[in-house]
Amino acid sequence: MTDERRQQLEAQLVADTTTDGGSPAPRIKALCALATSELAVSGTGATVLSEFDDDGQSPRRGLIHATNAISSGLEDLQLTVGEGPCLDTFSTGGPVLIAELQQASERWPAFTPAALDLGAVAVFSFPLQIGVVRLGSLDLYRDTDGSLSDAQLSDALIVADLMTQAVIAELEGHSTDDVSWLANPHAQIHQASGMVQVQLQTTTEAALLHLRAHAYSHELSITEVARRVVARELRFPAET
Amino acid sequence: MVSTRYTMTRTSETMSNEREQRLAQTFVALSDTLVDDFDVLDFLCLLAERSAELLDVTAAGVILSDQRGGWHPTAASSEDAQLLELFTAQTREGPFLECLRSGAPVAIPDLSAESERWPHFTETALAAGFHAAYAVPMRLRRESIGALTLLNTEAVGVDETSTQLGQALADVATVGLLHQRSVQRNEVLHEQLQATLHHRTVIEQAKGVLAEHGGLTMQQAFELLRGYARTNGQHLSHIACSLADGTINPADLLAHHAFVGLQRQE
Repeated sequence: MTDERRQQLEAQLVADTTTDGGSPAPRIKALCALATSELAVSGTGATVLSEFDDDGQSPRRGLIHATNAISSGLEDLQLTVGEGPCLDTFSTGGPVLIAELQQASERWPAFTPAALDLGAVAVFSFPLQIGVVRLGSLDLYRDTDGSLSDAQLSDALIVADLMTQAVIAELEGHSTDDVSWLANPHAQIHQASGMVQVQLQTTTEAALLHLRAHAYSHELSITEVARRVVARELRFPAET
Repeated sequence: MVSTRYTMTRTSETMSNEREQRLAQTFVALSDTLVDDFDVLDFLCLLAERSAELLDVTAAGVILSDQRGGWHPTAASSEDAQLLELFTAQTREGPFLECLRSGAPVAIPDLSAESERWPHFTETALAAGFHAAYAVPMRLRRESIGALTLLNTEAVGVDETSTQLGQALADVATVGLLHQRSVQRNEVLHEQLQATLHHRTVIEQAKGVLAEHGGLTMQQAFELLRGYARTNGQHLSHIACSLADGTINPADLLAHHAFVGLQRQE
Protein backbone atom coordinates (compact mmCIF):
# COMPACT_ATOMS: atom_id res chain seq x y z
CA MET A 1 0.00 0.00 0.00
CA THR A 2 2.86 2.37 0.86
CA ASP A 3 4.61 1.73 -2.40
CA GLU A 4 1.44 2.09 -4.39
CA ARG A 5 0.64 5.52 -3.01
CA ARG A 6 4.28 6.57 -3.24
CA GLN A 7 4.33 5.62 -6.90
CA GLN A 8 1.06 7.44 -7.56
CA LEU A 9 2.43 10.62 -6.00
CA GLU A 10 5.73 10.28 -7.83
CA ALA A 11 3.95 9.75 -11.16
CA GLN A 12 2.01 12.92 -10.56
CA LEU A 13 5.24 14.68 -9.78
CA VAL A 14 6.85 13.54 -13.02
CA ALA A 15 3.82 14.78 -14.93
CA ASP A 16 4.11 18.15 -13.17
CA THR A 17 7.83 18.58 -13.80
CA THR A 18 8.27 17.38 -17.38
CA THR A 19 9.57 20.78 -18.40
CA ASP A 20 12.60 20.89 -16.09
CA GLY A 21 13.99 17.40 -16.59
CA GLY A 22 13.47 16.43 -12.94
CA SER A 23 16.48 18.28 -11.55
CA PRO A 24 16.44 18.56 -7.76
CA ALA A 25 15.62 22.18 -6.88
CA PRO A 26 12.59 22.36 -9.18
CA ARG A 27 11.63 18.97 -7.78
CA ILE A 28 11.38 20.47 -4.30
CA LYS A 29 9.17 23.22 -5.69
CA ALA A 30 7.05 20.65 -7.49
CA LEU A 31 6.72 18.67 -4.24
CA CYS A 32 5.48 21.80 -2.46
CA ALA A 33 2.85 22.25 -5.16
CA LEU A 34 1.91 18.58 -4.93
CA ALA A 35 1.57 18.79 -1.15
CA THR A 36 -0.69 21.83 -1.46
CA SER A 37 -3.07 20.13 -3.87
CA GLU A 38 -3.05 16.61 -2.38
CA LEU A 39 -3.30 17.55 1.28
CA ALA A 40 -5.93 20.24 0.91
CA VAL A 41 -3.78 22.84 2.64
CA SER A 42 -3.65 26.55 1.88
CA GLY A 43 0.10 26.72 1.36
CA THR A 44 3.34 24.78 1.62
CA GLY A 45 6.88 25.84 2.38
CA ALA A 46 10.15 23.93 2.54
CA THR A 47 13.15 25.11 4.48
CA VAL A 48 16.30 23.30 3.52
CA LEU A 49 19.49 23.16 5.55
CA SER A 50 22.06 22.75 2.85
CA GLU A 51 25.67 23.28 1.88
CA PHE A 52 27.27 21.24 4.60
CA ASP A 53 30.96 21.86 5.05
CA ASP A 54 33.07 18.76 4.76
CA ASP A 55 33.06 18.52 8.53
CA GLY A 56 29.34 19.18 8.63
CA GLN A 57 29.68 22.33 10.71
CA SER A 58 27.01 25.01 10.81
CA PRO A 59 24.82 24.27 7.84
CA ARG A 60 23.40 27.29 6.07
CA ARG A 61 19.70 27.63 6.50
CA GLY A 62 17.73 28.97 3.62
CA LEU A 63 14.24 28.99 2.22
CA ILE A 64 14.02 26.91 -0.91
CA HIS A 65 10.44 27.40 -1.86
CA ALA A 66 6.99 28.47 -0.70
CA THR A 67 3.82 28.20 -2.70
CA ASN A 68 2.51 31.59 -1.57
CA ALA A 69 3.40 34.70 0.41
CA ILE A 70 1.87 33.45 3.64
CA SER A 71 3.95 30.27 3.54
CA SER A 72 7.14 32.18 2.92
CA GLY A 73 6.12 34.64 5.64
CA LEU A 74 5.72 31.75 8.09
CA GLU A 75 9.19 30.41 7.24
CA ASP A 76 10.75 33.85 7.72
CA LEU A 77 8.86 34.39 10.93
CA GLN A 78 10.30 31.26 12.56
CA LEU A 79 13.81 32.36 11.68
CA THR A 80 13.15 35.81 13.10
CA VAL A 81 11.55 34.79 16.40
CA GLY A 82 13.55 31.58 16.77
CA GLU A 83 10.57 29.38 17.61
CA GLY A 84 7.76 27.58 15.83
CA PRO A 85 6.65 24.20 14.51
CA CYS A 86 9.45 23.78 11.99
CA LEU A 87 12.14 24.34 14.63
CA ASP A 88 10.30 22.03 17.04
CA THR A 89 10.32 19.14 14.57
CA PHE A 90 14.07 19.01 15.05
CA SER A 91 13.95 18.85 18.81
CA THR A 92 11.19 16.23 18.93
CA GLY A 93 12.31 14.26 15.87
CA GLY A 94 8.72 13.81 14.75
CA PRO A 95 6.13 15.99 13.01
CA VAL A 96 4.44 18.88 14.83
CA LEU A 97 0.72 18.87 14.11
CA ILE A 98 -1.30 21.86 15.28
CA ALA A 99 -4.95 21.72 14.21
CA GLU A 100 -5.77 24.96 16.06
CA LEU A 101 -2.90 27.39 16.17
CA GLN A 102 -4.81 29.62 18.57
CA GLN A 103 -4.31 26.98 21.27
CA ALA A 104 -0.52 27.17 20.88
CA SER A 105 0.14 30.65 22.25
CA GLU A 106 1.73 29.26 25.39
CA ARG A 107 4.00 26.98 23.39
CA TRP A 108 5.16 29.72 21.01
CA PRO A 109 4.34 33.12 22.54
CA ALA A 110 6.07 35.06 19.75
CA PHE A 111 5.34 32.86 16.75
CA THR A 112 1.64 32.19 17.39
CA PRO A 113 0.15 35.72 17.32
CA ALA A 114 2.28 36.74 14.36
CA ALA A 115 1.40 33.56 12.42
CA LEU A 116 -2.30 34.11 13.12
CA ASP A 117 -1.90 37.67 11.84
CA LEU A 118 -0.38 36.30 8.65
CA GLY A 119 -3.50 34.16 8.18
CA ALA A 120 -2.44 30.70 9.37
CA VAL A 121 -5.07 28.89 11.46
CA ALA A 122 -3.58 25.38 11.46
CA VAL A 123 0.09 24.44 10.93
CA PHE A 124 1.75 21.08 10.25
CA SER A 125 5.53 20.63 10.09
CA PHE A 126 7.43 17.49 9.06
CA PRO A 127 11.17 17.07 9.56
CA LEU A 128 13.34 16.15 6.58
CA GLN A 129 15.89 13.96 8.29
CA ILE A 130 17.69 10.63 8.33
CA GLY A 131 18.51 10.07 11.99
CA VAL A 132 20.96 12.79 13.05
CA VAL A 133 21.22 14.00 9.46
CA ARG A 134 18.98 17.05 9.46
CA LEU A 135 18.14 18.32 6.02
CA GLY A 136 15.23 20.66 6.53
CA SER A 137 11.49 20.70 7.07
CA LEU A 138 8.26 20.54 5.13
CA ASP A 139 5.79 23.10 6.50
CA LEU A 140 2.09 23.21 5.70
CA TYR A 141 -0.55 25.67 6.80
CA ARG A 142 -4.33 26.00 6.52
CA ASP A 143 -6.48 29.10 6.77
CA THR A 144 -9.14 27.02 8.54
CA ASP A 145 -8.79 24.86 11.64
CA GLY A 146 -8.85 21.08 11.68
CA SER A 147 -6.59 18.03 11.68
CA LEU A 148 -5.06 16.28 8.72
CA SER A 149 -7.01 13.11 7.96
CA ASP A 150 -5.15 9.81 8.34
CA ALA A 151 -4.79 9.59 4.55
CA GLN A 152 -3.47 13.17 4.39
CA LEU A 153 -1.01 12.51 7.19
CA SER A 154 0.23 9.44 5.35
CA ASP A 155 0.57 11.46 2.11
CA ALA A 156 2.42 14.21 3.96
CA LEU A 157 4.93 11.67 5.33
CA ILE A 158 5.46 10.27 1.82
CA VAL A 159 5.95 13.77 0.40
CA ALA A 160 8.46 14.45 3.19
CA ASP A 161 10.32 11.24 2.20
CA LEU A 162 10.37 12.31 -1.45
CA MET A 163 11.59 15.75 -0.45
CA THR A 164 14.35 14.26 1.72
CA GLN A 165 15.38 12.24 -1.32
CA ALA A 166 15.40 15.39 -3.48
CA VAL A 167 17.53 17.29 -0.97
CA ILE A 168 20.07 14.45 -0.79
CA ALA A 169 20.20 14.35 -4.58
CA GLU A 170 20.79 18.10 -4.60
CA LEU A 171 23.68 17.73 -2.14
CA GLU A 172 25.20 15.06 -4.36
CA GLY A 173 24.67 16.98 -7.54
CA HIS A 174 23.27 14.11 -9.55
CA SER A 175 19.74 13.24 -10.43
CA THR A 176 17.41 11.53 -8.00
CA ASP A 177 17.46 7.79 -7.78
CA ASP A 178 15.36 5.35 -5.83
CA VAL A 179 15.42 6.24 -2.17
CA SER A 180 12.47 4.10 -1.20
CA TRP A 181 14.79 2.52 1.41
CA LEU A 182 14.21 5.68 3.45
CA ALA A 183 10.78 4.43 4.41
CA ASN A 184 11.77 0.80 4.85
CA PRO A 185 13.23 -0.79 7.93
CA HIS A 186 16.78 -1.13 6.65
CA ALA A 187 18.70 -0.70 9.87
CA GLN A 188 21.97 -1.68 8.18
CA ILE A 189 22.15 1.52 6.13
CA HIS A 190 22.12 3.56 9.31
CA GLN A 191 24.57 1.24 11.06
CA ALA A 192 26.88 1.45 8.04
CA SER A 193 26.67 5.27 8.05
CA GLY A 194 27.82 5.25 11.67
CA MET A 195 30.70 2.90 10.87
CA VAL A 196 31.85 4.85 7.82
CA GLN A 197 31.79 8.17 9.69
CA VAL A 198 34.35 6.70 12.10
CA GLN A 199 36.41 5.20 9.26
CA LEU A 200 36.55 8.55 7.45
CA GLN A 201 36.58 10.70 10.59
CA THR A 202 33.66 12.65 9.27
CA THR A 203 29.96 13.29 9.93
CA THR A 204 26.97 10.99 9.49
CA GLU A 205 25.72 13.06 6.52
CA ALA A 206 29.08 12.88 4.75
CA ALA A 207 29.26 9.13 5.48
CA LEU A 208 25.81 8.62 4.02
CA LEU A 209 26.82 10.51 0.89
CA HIS A 210 29.97 8.37 0.59
CA LEU A 211 27.89 5.20 0.86
CA ARG A 212 25.55 6.45 -1.82
CA ALA A 213 28.37 7.59 -4.08
CA HIS A 214 30.00 4.17 -3.77
CA ALA A 215 26.71 2.45 -4.61
CA TYR A 216 26.20 4.79 -7.55
CA SER A 217 29.66 4.38 -9.06
CA HIS A 218 29.76 0.60 -8.56
CA GLU A 219 26.19 0.09 -9.72
CA LEU A 220 25.23 -1.56 -6.45
CA SER A 221 22.18 -0.94 -4.31
CA ILE A 222 22.87 1.08 -1.18
CA THR A 223 21.47 -1.81 0.89
CA GLU A 224 24.14 -4.10 -0.58
CA VAL A 225 26.91 -1.57 0.10
CA ALA A 226 25.62 -1.22 3.67
CA ARG A 227 25.51 -5.00 4.13
CA ARG A 228 29.18 -5.24 3.08
CA VAL A 229 30.22 -2.47 5.46
CA VAL A 230 28.39 -4.03 8.42
CA ALA A 231 29.82 -7.48 7.53
CA ARG A 232 33.23 -5.76 7.53
CA GLU A 233 33.88 -6.77 3.94
CA LEU A 234 34.15 -3.16 2.82
CA ARG A 235 35.94 -0.26 4.46
CA PHE A 236 36.17 3.41 3.52
CA PRO A 237 38.02 5.00 1.88
CA ALA A 238 37.15 2.19 -0.50
CA GLU A 239 39.66 1.10 -3.12
CA THR A 240 38.37 1.94 -6.55
CA MET B 1 3.18 -41.54 46.24
CA VAL B 2 2.13 -39.12 48.87
CA SER B 3 5.47 -37.44 48.90
CA THR B 4 5.53 -37.17 45.07
CA ARG B 5 2.12 -35.53 45.00
CA TYR B 6 3.20 -33.16 47.69
CA THR B 7 6.30 -32.19 45.71
CA MET B 8 4.32 -31.63 42.50
CA THR B 9 1.79 -29.39 44.19
CA ARG B 10 4.50 -27.48 45.85
CA THR B 11 6.41 -27.03 42.58
CA SER B 12 3.34 -25.74 40.82
CA GLU B 13 2.63 -23.31 43.66
CA THR B 14 6.19 -22.13 43.68
CA MET B 15 6.09 -21.55 39.94
CA SER B 16 2.91 -19.58 40.21
CA ASN B 17 4.37 -17.52 43.05
CA GLU B 18 7.50 -16.91 41.06
CA ARG B 19 5.48 -15.70 38.11
CA GLU B 20 3.41 -13.41 40.28
CA GLN B 21 6.56 -12.06 41.79
CA ARG B 22 8.09 -11.45 38.37
CA LEU B 23 4.85 -9.84 37.24
CA ALA B 24 4.86 -7.48 40.20
CA GLN B 25 8.54 -6.68 39.63
CA THR B 26 7.89 -5.98 35.97
CA PHE B 27 5.11 -3.53 36.64
CA VAL B 28 7.18 -1.81 39.30
CA ALA B 29 10.11 -1.55 36.87
CA LEU B 30 7.87 -0.26 34.07
CA SER B 31 6.11 2.30 36.22
CA ASP B 32 9.48 3.43 37.57
CA THR B 33 10.40 4.17 33.97
CA LEU B 34 7.18 6.07 33.30
CA VAL B 35 8.35 9.22 35.06
CA ASP B 36 7.71 12.72 33.76
CA ASP B 37 10.56 12.69 31.31
CA PHE B 38 11.39 9.23 30.04
CA ASP B 39 12.88 7.64 26.99
CA VAL B 40 10.27 5.84 24.93
CA LEU B 41 12.73 3.47 23.25
CA ASP B 42 14.38 2.48 26.50
CA PHE B 43 10.92 1.80 27.88
CA LEU B 44 9.91 -0.33 24.89
CA CYS B 45 13.15 -2.34 25.09
CA LEU B 46 12.53 -3.02 28.78
CA LEU B 47 8.97 -4.00 27.98
CA ALA B 48 10.12 -6.41 25.26
CA GLU B 49 12.65 -8.03 27.61
CA ARG B 50 10.15 -8.42 30.43
CA SER B 51 7.45 -9.71 28.07
CA ALA B 52 9.74 -12.50 26.90
CA GLU B 53 10.46 -13.46 30.52
CA LEU B 54 6.91 -13.26 31.81
CA LEU B 55 5.29 -15.03 28.89
CA ASP B 56 7.97 -17.73 28.88
CA VAL B 57 8.94 -17.17 25.26
CA THR B 58 12.40 -16.94 23.71
CA ALA B 59 12.14 -13.46 22.22
CA ALA B 60 9.81 -10.48 22.05
CA GLY B 61 9.66 -7.42 19.85
CA VAL B 62 7.61 -4.28 19.31
CA ILE B 63 6.76 -3.44 15.69
CA LEU B 64 5.20 -0.05 14.99
CA SER B 65 3.30 1.55 12.12
CA ASP B 66 5.24 4.02 9.97
CA GLN B 67 1.88 5.60 9.09
CA ARG B 68 2.63 5.31 5.41
CA GLY B 69 1.30 1.76 5.25
CA GLY B 70 4.57 0.14 6.38
CA TRP B 71 5.86 -1.31 9.64
CA HIS B 72 9.12 -0.89 11.59
CA PRO B 73 10.62 -3.22 14.20
CA THR B 74 11.34 -0.73 16.97
CA ALA B 75 12.38 -2.58 20.11
CA ALA B 76 13.39 -6.15 20.86
CA SER B 77 14.31 -8.30 23.84
CA SER B 78 17.69 -8.81 22.17
CA GLU B 79 19.46 -6.86 19.43
CA ASP B 80 20.74 -10.06 17.86
CA ALA B 81 21.02 -9.41 14.10
CA GLN B 82 19.25 -12.62 13.09
CA LEU B 83 16.38 -11.88 15.44
CA LEU B 84 15.98 -8.33 14.11
CA GLU B 85 15.93 -9.72 10.59
CA LEU B 86 13.14 -12.04 11.62
CA PHE B 87 11.09 -9.16 13.00
CA THR B 88 11.68 -7.35 9.71
CA ALA B 89 10.49 -10.45 7.81
CA GLN B 90 7.29 -10.25 9.89
CA THR B 91 6.51 -6.84 8.41
CA ARG B 92 5.95 -8.55 5.06
CA GLU B 93 4.03 -11.71 6.03
CA GLY B 94 3.10 -13.83 9.01
CA PRO B 95 1.16 -13.67 12.28
CA PHE B 96 2.07 -10.02 12.86
CA LEU B 97 0.22 -8.78 9.74
CA GLU B 98 -2.60 -11.23 10.44
CA CYS B 99 -2.97 -9.74 13.91
CA LEU B 100 -3.12 -6.21 12.53
CA ARG B 101 -5.74 -7.17 9.99
CA SER B 102 -7.99 -8.80 12.55
CA GLY B 103 -7.16 -6.52 15.46
CA ALA B 104 -7.03 -9.64 17.66
CA PRO B 105 -4.18 -11.73 19.09
CA VAL B 106 -2.84 -14.46 16.81
CA ALA B 107 -1.09 -17.58 18.08
CA ILE B 108 0.74 -19.96 15.77
CA PRO B 109 1.89 -22.83 18.00
CA ASP B 110 3.52 -24.74 15.15
CA LEU B 111 5.09 -22.67 12.39
CA SER B 112 6.07 -25.67 10.28
CA ALA B 113 2.37 -26.18 9.54
CA GLU B 114 2.13 -22.70 7.99
CA SER B 115 4.79 -22.93 5.30
CA GLU B 116 2.25 -22.69 2.49
CA ARG B 117 0.53 -19.64 3.90
CA TRP B 118 3.76 -17.80 4.82
CA PRO B 119 6.64 -19.45 2.94
CA HIS B 120 9.24 -16.72 3.51
CA PHE B 121 8.52 -16.00 7.15
CA THR B 122 8.27 -19.65 8.22
CA GLU B 123 11.50 -20.49 6.41
CA THR B 124 13.38 -17.61 8.06
CA ALA B 125 11.91 -18.38 11.49
CA LEU B 126 12.55 -22.13 11.33
CA ALA B 127 16.09 -21.53 10.07
CA ALA B 128 16.68 -19.32 13.14
CA GLY B 129 15.37 -22.10 15.39
CA PHE B 130 11.92 -20.66 16.16
CA HIS B 131 8.89 -22.95 16.04
CA ALA B 132 6.06 -20.84 17.42
CA ALA B 133 5.03 -17.21 16.92
CA TYR B 134 2.44 -14.96 18.52
CA ALA B 135 1.30 -11.41 17.97
CA VAL B 136 -0.79 -9.15 20.22
CA PRO B 137 -2.19 -5.91 18.80
CA MET B 138 -1.30 -2.49 20.20
CA ARG B 139 -4.53 -0.61 19.80
CA LEU B 140 -5.59 2.93 20.48
CA ARG B 141 -9.30 3.50 20.02
CA ARG B 142 -9.99 1.86 16.66
CA GLU B 143 -6.48 2.22 15.32
CA SER B 144 -3.88 -0.56 15.33
CA ILE B 145 -0.57 1.20 15.79
CA GLY B 146 1.56 -1.93 15.95
CA ALA B 147 1.92 -5.19 17.81
CA LEU B 148 3.88 -6.97 20.47
CA THR B 149 5.30 -10.02 18.71
CA LEU B 150 6.64 -13.10 20.45
CA LEU B 151 8.76 -15.99 19.24
CA ASN B 152 9.41 -19.34 20.81
CA THR B 153 11.95 -22.04 20.07
CA GLU B 154 9.44 -24.61 21.36
CA ALA B 155 6.31 -25.43 19.38
CA VAL B 156 3.77 -24.65 22.09
CA GLY B 157 0.50 -22.75 22.31
CA VAL B 158 -0.46 -20.14 24.87
CA ASP B 159 -2.96 -20.46 27.70
CA GLU B 160 -5.70 -17.99 28.52
CA THR B 161 -3.71 -16.33 31.34
CA SER B 162 -0.74 -15.69 29.06
CA THR B 163 -3.00 -14.28 26.35
CA GLN B 164 -4.51 -11.81 28.80
CA LEU B 165 -1.13 -10.94 30.22
CA GLY B 166 0.21 -10.43 26.68
CA GLN B 167 -2.62 -8.03 25.91
CA ALA B 168 -1.99 -6.15 29.15
CA LEU B 169 1.69 -5.76 28.21
CA ALA B 170 0.78 -4.57 24.69
CA ASP B 171 -1.58 -2.00 26.24
CA VAL B 172 1.19 -0.79 28.54
CA ALA B 173 3.43 -0.42 25.47
CA THR B 174 0.76 1.76 23.82
CA VAL B 175 0.44 3.93 26.90
CA GLY B 176 4.23 4.29 27.09
CA LEU B 177 4.41 5.29 23.46
CA LEU B 178 1.95 8.09 24.05
CA HIS B 179 4.37 9.45 26.62
CA GLN B 180 3.16 11.54 29.47
CA ARG B 181 1.36 13.96 27.23
CA SER B 182 -2.35 14.46 26.84
CA VAL B 183 -4.06 11.79 24.79
CA GLN B 184 -6.89 14.21 24.09
CA ARG B 185 -5.21 15.39 20.94
CA ASN B 186 -5.23 12.67 18.33
CA GLU B 187 -2.14 14.31 16.82
CA VAL B 188 -0.01 13.30 19.80
CA LEU B 189 -0.05 9.68 18.72
CA HIS B 190 1.13 10.57 15.22
CA GLU B 191 3.84 12.90 16.50
CA GLN B 192 5.05 10.36 19.02
CA LEU B 193 5.08 7.39 16.65
CA GLN B 194 7.22 9.23 14.12
CA ALA B 195 9.55 10.59 16.79
CA THR B 196 10.08 7.07 18.12
CA LEU B 197 10.93 5.74 14.65
CA HIS B 198 13.33 8.67 14.20
CA HIS B 199 15.10 7.85 17.47
CA ARG B 200 15.39 4.23 16.40
CA THR B 201 17.29 5.40 13.28
CA VAL B 202 19.59 7.53 15.44
CA ILE B 203 20.29 4.50 17.64
CA GLU B 204 21.27 2.46 14.56
CA GLN B 205 23.70 5.22 13.53
CA ALA B 206 25.16 5.34 17.04
CA LYS B 207 25.50 1.55 17.10
CA GLY B 208 27.55 1.83 13.90
CA VAL B 209 29.83 4.48 15.44
CA LEU B 210 30.44 2.40 18.57
CA ALA B 211 30.80 -0.90 16.70
CA GLU B 212 33.42 0.58 14.40
CA HIS B 213 35.30 2.44 17.09
CA GLY B 214 35.37 -0.41 19.59
CA GLY B 215 35.42 -3.38 17.21
CA LEU B 216 32.10 -4.57 18.65
CA THR B 217 29.14 -6.42 17.22
CA MET B 218 25.94 -4.38 16.77
CA GLN B 219 24.41 -6.14 19.76
CA GLN B 220 27.40 -5.36 21.98
CA ALA B 221 27.30 -1.77 20.79
CA PHE B 222 23.63 -1.52 21.75
CA GLU B 223 24.21 -3.04 25.18
CA LEU B 224 27.06 -0.64 25.84
CA LEU B 225 24.95 2.31 24.71
CA ARG B 226 22.08 1.28 26.95
CA GLY B 227 24.28 0.43 29.91
CA TYR B 228 26.04 3.77 29.68
CA ALA B 229 22.76 5.67 29.45
CA ARG B 230 21.40 3.85 32.52
CA THR B 231 24.55 4.24 34.62
CA ASN B 232 24.61 7.95 33.90
CA GLY B 233 20.88 8.48 34.26
CA GLN B 234 20.59 9.79 30.72
CA HIS B 235 18.22 9.08 27.87
CA LEU B 236 19.24 6.31 25.52
CA SER B 237 18.14 8.48 22.58
CA HIS B 238 20.14 11.49 23.80
CA ILE B 239 23.33 9.46 24.22
CA ALA B 240 22.81 7.92 20.78
CA CYS B 241 22.29 11.35 19.25
CA SER B 242 25.40 12.82 20.91
CA LEU B 243 27.46 9.88 19.70
CA ALA B 244 26.24 10.07 16.12
CA ASP B 245 26.60 13.85 15.83
CA GLY B 246 30.05 13.79 17.42
CA THR B 247 29.18 15.72 20.59
CA ILE B 248 30.59 12.88 22.67
CA ASN B 249 33.57 10.77 21.77
CA PRO B 250 32.95 7.02 21.42
CA ALA B 251 36.28 6.47 23.22
CA ASP B 252 34.78 8.08 26.36
CA LEU B 253 31.94 5.57 26.33
CA LEU B 254 34.23 2.63 25.76
CA ALA B 255 36.62 3.78 28.49
CA HIS B 256 33.99 4.82 30.98
CA HIS B 257 31.94 1.70 30.87
CA ALA B 258 33.34 -1.53 32.20
CA PHE B 259 31.46 -3.74 29.83
CA VAL B 260 31.57 -7.09 31.54
CA GLY B 261 31.04 -9.96 29.17
CA LEU B 262 31.56 -7.86 26.06
CA GLN B 263 34.43 -9.29 24.11
CA ARG B 264 36.29 -7.35 21.54
CA GLN B 265 36.06 -8.83 18.11
CA GLU B 266 39.26 -9.74 16.42
